Amino acid sequence: MRTLVVLAVAALTATLAPVARAVDHSKGYPGYCRNATGVTVVVDFQQLGGTTIVRCDPRPTRGTGLDAVKGAGFQIEGVVRWGEGFICRIENRPSAVEEIPVAGDDGYREACRDTPPASAYWSYWHAGNNCQWEYSQWGVKNRDFVPGGFEGWSFSLNATADTNPTPRIAAVRPGTTGQPCDAPDEPEPTTADPNARQPGAAGAQNGAGGGSGGSTETSTAPGRDALPPPKPRTGSPDRAEADDPSGNVAFTGGEKARDVTEVVREQSGASDYAPWAAGGAVVLLGLATWLTARRRKRSREA
Amino acid sequence: MLARYFLPRDLHPGAWWVWALGLAVAASRTTNPWLLLTILAVACYVVIARRADAPWAMAFRLYLYLGAFIVAMRVLFRFVFGGAEGSTIILALPEIPLPAWAAGIRLLGDVSAESLLGGLYDGLRLATMVVCLGAANALANPKRLLKAMPPALYEVGTAVVVALSVFPQLAESVLRVRRARTLRGGATGRRFRALHAIIIPVLEDALDRSLRLAASMDSRGYGRAGRVAARARLATGALMIVGLIGVCVGVYATLDGSTPRFLAAPVLVAGLVVALVGFRLAGRRVHRTRYRPDRWRAPEIVVATSGVAVAVAFFATSGVNPTNLNPSLVVLSWPLLSWPPLLGAAVGLVPAVLSPIPEPVTA
Repeated sequence: MRTLVVLAVAALTATLAPVARAVDHSKGYPGYCRNATGVTVVVDFQQLGGTTIVRCDPRPTRGTGLDAVKGAGFQIEGVVRWGEGFICRIENRPSAVEEIPVAGDDGYREACRDTPPASAYWSYWHAGNNCQWEYSQWGVKNRDFVPGGFEGWSFSLNATADTNPTPRIAAVRPGTTGQPCDAPDEPEPTTADPNARQPGAAGAQNGAGGGSGGSTETSTAPGRDALPPPKPRTGSPDRAEADDPSGNVAFTGGEKARDVTEVVREQSGASDYAPWAAGGAVVLLGLATWLTARRRKRSREA
Repeated sequence: MLARYFLPRDLHPGAWWVWALGLAVAASRTTNPWLLLTILAVACYVVIARRADAPWAMAFRLYLYLGAFIVAMRVLFRFVFGGAEGSTIILALPEIPLPAWAAGIRLLGDVSAESLLGGLYDGLRLATMVVCLGAANALANPKRLLKAMPPALYEVGTAVVVALSVFPQLAESVLRVRRARTLRGGATGRRFRALHAIIIPVLEDALDRSLRLAASMDSRGYGRAGRVAARARLATGALMIVGLIGVCVGVYATLDGSTPRFLAAPVLVAGLVVALVGFRLAGRRVHRTRYRPDRWRAPEIVVATSGVAVAVAFFATSGVNPTNLNPSLVVLSWPLLSWPPLLGAAVGLVPAVLSPIPEPVTA
């Protein structure tokens, strides 16, 4: 009974839910973070085409990488198999109808069912302010972002572990150019267990990140092990300084991005009337079934 | 001509199985509730319109109960084991803390609408497939299905048919025992006693029946080894089993989009080849005649084609665009639906009109 009530509530919520924008402008703000609170999220579409988007998640608390990308207002989609632990689409790219020129797999399209191939996936990077980008050794739910730092998403197409493209935005907040790189050392994963969490990460103490559900989720495991291993890096505390911001590509804050739901509806060729037709057909068939069953029962008893 | 087409008779059981498996395959491709509900409604209507008054046909209702149970369990498990994938929390249950070695398992805690809907869609898909199989069992006569098996498949076919008809037989037993109890005016008050009074006769009935079946098969020459060398029998048996396992793995991989592709077509083809070699070898030594074999006539072809058409429609549309068939739950919204898969599902309704009604049972 309670299930029914809850489902009714869920259905109601579904109808009342506000229409999602491509970029949820109620979360975060466009451009770099203005100060050391929060984290700047960079999404670089690379060879998929499209203007790089930079937004800030201004949360003062700690949070996982997933909290950051959601908190900055990006629309993400996880694979069916792993859930949001493995992000396969950001801002509906690569969309379900988009053919990705993957070498050796012509006409590949991302269905977001299973782990994407190692030659076409969203690579996950992070950096402290004024630091060089680093390929994350942890899954998106399993590490905390660096406060005041950067989280990067860069589409890796036909790249190897050594040629994974870094986001083409230098990890430097405006006005802090020239300052030294400050980033805490991240411990490397000690096990191959995909559920392992970075020690002390928000996800390790359930819910401490206060994030939007992602940090408390534990049932799905990000299948990072299917991807090329991260580049071995020296653990020296003095990290490489960030590139010169003058080499940045053009970017927007995602202000003019189109509504993802609308784009998906267009791409899928969905019709507004089809669900009504389906509902009507189900009701009619149910009625016909009931009438036929009654008629046959009567004739059987007669 | 038309009168002959619609002359009341039982269709070839294979036609109904092809039709039902077509619907089940289509259901396995989608988690869209609109499509799943349409397929369910189509299957129910065709069953009600075309089932015979035979005992196995009356068990269809139990498949519906089983489907409802599957859906309920899927949703319930989302409550119990972590339903927080998604941001719309609709129920905040207290979380039960677990020791460190149980990391990765969560008991209760926040429940989100997205995860509940995910459980509902997933359960609905499995339930639809189960109901489709129930439809096949309700429409096709299991005994005639056994009769229609190719001679080489006799050993395997017998096992498969017996396995497939276990549930309808049990269901029929339950219905019979319950009717008998009602006629006797048995006490309905105490649930446990009622269960007790149903289960024992049903199990006894099942045992009696299987002994009877074994005796009748024995007298008809099943399990006859004939004058074939033991080594040859072993070889054909091994070929057939390996081939059929290969076919099963291949079919599974073909239908499940997330299985590695090298398990799909290559294993399927290899399995088919091995199984066919086995069939040839087995068929050479088995000679069985059939009394008035069922024939594939126009209605059978229409029924089977409609089932295959549904499956093809779903494969084609999911190849063009998967968003329709697997609604995204990232943003909570009504699942989208486009016309092609819906019209494809509606094709499954053809047998309700374009097939002869079953022969009335003369008791």
